[in-house]
Amino acid sequence: MLPLGLLNAAQGHPMLVELKNGETLNGHLISCDTWMNLTLKEVVQTSPDGDKFFRLPEVYVRGNNIKYLRVPDEIIDLVKDQQQNQPSSRARGGGALRGDHGGRGDRGRGGVRGARGRGRGRG
Amino acid sequence: MVKFNGGREIQGTLKGHDQLMNLVLDDVQEMLRDDEGNTSTRSLGLIVARGTLLVLISPLDGSEEIANPFNNQEED
Repeated sequence: MLPLGLLNAAQGHPMLVELKNGETLNGHLISCDTWMNLTLKEVVQTSPDGDKFFRLPEVYVRGNNIKYLRVPDEIIDLVKDQQQNQPSSRARGGGALRGDHGGRGDRGRGGVRGARGRGRGRG
Repeated sequence: MVKFNGGREIQGTLKGHDQLMNLVLDDVQEMLRDDEGNTSTRSLGLIVARGTLLVLISPLDGSEEIANPFNNQEED
């Protein structure tokens, strides 16, 4: 189970995001990318000292400013289901995320020792 | 509204952007907060905001300060 896999599965669900500056954002995850940049909707933003609250209809957050994410427990079950429905045979091409990683591994062929083994998948 | 890495915060009208998320904003007001928590603003006019320093972008329309919406058990 990969962090970004969990994040992908959490799309459309409520979550809490704490930024490096201590602010927290509570909202529904709309989308995310491989840099962990997020867009959230219906957000409640809490100031770092927890004394100010703002309601924001929509927020874009840069991934490199995220400290951590809290997702609902049921997301973990969602991910497990997804992984069981499409077991990690890379040959089948899986989702967009898997495709991404596979491609990167391919390109790395002939580079660092071991890069090939990781990229081509042994499963 | 745009928040920067380092704590600065501005509001303005988004005029354009690029792939690196550099922004062009017009009629920009920087929101300043002093030690006592008083807020003031200063006008910056037309600016280019560096994409690498951005933290958060949010439309001003429909955003408001609200009372604590959480029960005290939330912040644990």
